[in-house]
Amino acid sequence: MAARRVGVSSWHRVLSLSGRCGRCSSTNTALGKTVENSEDAREEIVLPRRKTWDKLAVLQTLASTVKRDPTAAHYMFQDDPYLMPRNSATARLFSLSKESGRNAAKYIIKEFPHFFDKILAEPNIPSLMPEICTPQIEGVSEEALKERINLRMVKASVDLFDQLLQAGTPVSLETTNSLLDLLCFYGDGESTQEKESEEKEDLEESEVNASEQETPKRPPQRGSHPSASRWRENNSAERIFKIMPERNAHSYCTMIRGMVKHGASAKAYDMYTELLNDRHKADVHTFNALITAVPFLKDRFLERWELIKTFLNHMAQQEVQPNVRTFNAVLKTLRRCGGVGRSMAVPVIKEMEALEIVDLAPSGIISEVLDDVEKRSFTPQDPDDGKFFISAMQVCCDLKDIKLAYRLNKAMEKGDNWKFLDMDRLNLYWSRFFSLLCMMEQIDVVLKWYKEMSPSLFYPSPKNILDLLQALDAANHLEMIPSVWEDMKQLGFSKRRDLLEELLSLMSRDQQPEEIQLAFAKCAEDIKTVHEQSGKDQAPVEWTGSALGSVTVVFSRAGRTQDAWSMMEHFQQINRIPTDLVMDEFLNCAKQTNSPDEAIKLVKLAVSLGLPSSQKLKSRVEKEFELSENQKKALESIQSDSDSSDSDSDHD
Amino acid sequence: MAVDQDWSSVYPTAAAFKPASVPLPIRMGYPVKGGVPPPKEGNLELIKIPNFLHLTPPAIKKHCAALRDFCTEWPSALDSDEKCEQHFPIEIETVDYVSAGTSIRNPKARIVTLRVKLSNLNLDDHAKKKLIKLVGARYCKDTDVLTIIIDRCPLRRQNYDYGIHLLTVLYHESWKTEAWESEKTEEDMEEYIWENSSSQRNALDTLLQIKATENVSNVTKEDLLASEVVRNYRNSVIALKNEGETESNISQYKESVKKLLNIQALP
Repeated sequence: MAARRVGVSSWHRVLSLSGRCGRCSSTNTALGKTVENSEDAREEIVLPRRKTWDKLAVLQTLASTVKRDPTAAHYMFQDDPYLMPRNSATARLFSLSKESGRNAAKYIIKEFPHFFDKILAEPNIPSLMPEICTPQIEGVSEEALKERINLRMVKASVDLFDQLLQAGTPVSLETTNSLLDLLCFYGDGESTQEKESEEKEDLEESEVNASEQETPKRPPQRGSHPSASRWRENNSAERIFKIMPERNAHSYCTMIRGMVKHGASAKAYDMYTELLNDRHKADVHTFNALITAVPFLKDRFLERWELIKTFLNHMAQQEVQPNVRTFNAVLKTLRRCGGVGRSMAVPVIKEMEALEIVDLAPSGIISEVLDDVEKRSFTPQDPDDGKFFISAMQVCCDLKDIKLAYRLNKAMEKGDNWKFLDMDRLNLYWSRFFSLLCMMEQIDVVLKWYKEMSPSLFYPSPKNILDLLQALDAANHLEMIPSVWEDMKQLGFSKRRDLLEELLSLMSRDQQPEEIQLAFAKCAEDIKTVHEQSGKDQAPVEWTGSALGSVTVVFSRAGRTQDAWSMMEHFQQINRIPTDLVMDEFLNCAKQTNSPDEAIKLVKLAVSLGLPSSQKLKSRVEKEFELSENQKKALESIQSDSDSSDSDSDHD
Repeated sequence: MAVDQDWSSVYPTAAAFKPASVPLPIRMGYPVKGGVPPPKEGNLELIKIPNFLHLTPPAIKKHCAALRDFCTEWPSALDSDEKCEQHFPIEIETVDYVSAGTSIRNPKARIVTLRVKLSNLNLDDHAKKKLIKLVGARYCKDTDVLTIIIDRCPLRRQNYDYGIHLLTVLYHESWKTEAWESEKTEEDMEEYIWENSSSQRNALDTLLQIKATENVSNVTKEDLLASEVVRNYRNSVIALKNEGETESNISQYKESVKKLLNIQALP
């Protein structure tokens, strides 16, 4: 409910009277004049000017009060404990399925637009309605041609153009230019849907490409063109270009860019010389295209660099201001120039910083920089290349520079940069960040990040878990191991042998205080069940010697003799030999729990396995245990059989 | 839920009730026989109803702090209600409607309510009476507020303009005196006026007759009118007619009549 008080002053403002007049006549709107103006003048009521803001400002401000929720999964998933993805594979599956659902919906709207013609929303939302793909204007006229160009119908527009020429109607230069743009962009092929998804260029900025996507992916490498878009000899674009009565700079530029895009670099160079002959000026995009084409024109590095310098000089002569993409192109070409390129890259960067272009938006240059030159410090900007973050993080890992990683993180959280990391890349990025953290930071910081980041931001990869275990080990926080095991089970890593080995060895390495030992024992039991379980189609995980030994040790230390003994029996099954440590621990355990039977069984086992330490064990048993008569006799009998390696002795 | 968790991040916007996210042990629904209402897990009753989990007081505080930049300052000279009314006597009220649906339009949003106190308008007695007659039921006598509800145009702005125009027209019309207004009869009067009324005539005639029978002559109407008993009588009749019958009014009338007719109390 909005209530407004309208008073004298606002009326005066509305009528734009400057001073406050005294007695107003009745024709003047003297509403509500309660007091004389002299009293008004005493307190000056200053009404502030109304503030205006754009449509989304309020929503954006409210959104800024909200932070990321670390306990929930990514917002695109259903927030339900049963429906949340638990590991990276399912996360990717869910996100892909959501995306495919969206695509299916778009397809339906596109294929059956007659089902979606009723406008329900008020005001209408045009982006949700099916778009009109068929041209409305029929007949042979310039407007029809313009419309077909707008709808990107390449063949139809070329046909219409020919018809127009045959009919004798002159087509204006602008329209011809836009037709040339269309042809050069689509390379004489039809602009089908697959084409649209393949060609996601961000270097070319012709007018035809009005609907630029927000997340331009890196263009495909120049070397491998899709074979469908080769520049054929004397194709429509060239033909039209030749029959044009007058050409301006725009036509030349378009042709050059089209030729470069579709691989006819030599022709592009010829066209450029023609342009210079005609004394036209090329624009910055044309120069960018030419620079990108340089590797195809010359073979040797030095010649390439010379050519680049020539082009840059021409640019300076024609007073064309280079933009970021120029430098992009230069750096990309330098990549292919090998050693010469590397040395040239740094001054180029310096120039860019000098020109302050580095602060402006699109620059995939950093990936080039990082890949080529391994620059040590850079100013984080707002790059919009998706792969940038991944490769940058990789470089940080290689350089082992944690501060750089933090800065990178901050840069990513700033502004709109989160858009450029979809699910897989997000996972990769955070996974690398986490490994770096494990390597470089204190354990508290690591644990804090771990709690915050998983499971909401990313799902740890096996390597991450290994790193985490090592970090815990380094910081002597081995009591966290059971919780790590829980996480591992949730992530579905419980069958991975390397992780299990690492886990078990860590658990069994040192003697731990009581509670931790018990917790470890529970963990070990879990692992044991994992090994023995066999899924419907899966083979059970097999024991390895060290794993078995570790489990036995852990059980022994926790005082669970029965379990330990069953483990020992496994040794025979897998034909492995338990280590001395295992035997000793078992004996200790047996001693603690006062079960000399177990001890004797152990000695028997040792003897049957033919261990060299069985003698020592036997003597130890005799010394440390209180044995009854029967047991002593049994022990003796084992002794006598120690020479025969493969016979079990009967004892009562 | 950890004690220091940021709840406004869990529910940043209006969302359905998520039993796993809300850590409260809520039960809702018709209780099982001899039991308790069903728990929150999978409870459709909790999901159906609208909840305000996204608008907890700390969240609202944060929103207000963020929206402060959109606001301008209140003028420092307007620090009391009386001053506001003095400088800005006309109040305009409009209502905006929001609903969940495909359309943002609501026909009720065009209604504009205009309120003004007549004491803030520059009206003399005749103008005020005429204005009140013109607006009829829109004037409230107790609070002296004229309320005009305008909804005859399709757009709010048009209604607002019409409302202001209407107020202007009323004001000017009430100041004008038409020729036929002199034909105002006693039934049209808003309040009782004793002068030239039948009560005055009756009282004067009675007194004159009394004086004639007492053979006191040369008593003019003006003397009678100016005399105190007649004045008392006049006030009591006016009070009775204008304010209705109350204890004090009627006793005052009785006294004045007794004095007028010189009626002594019976011994």
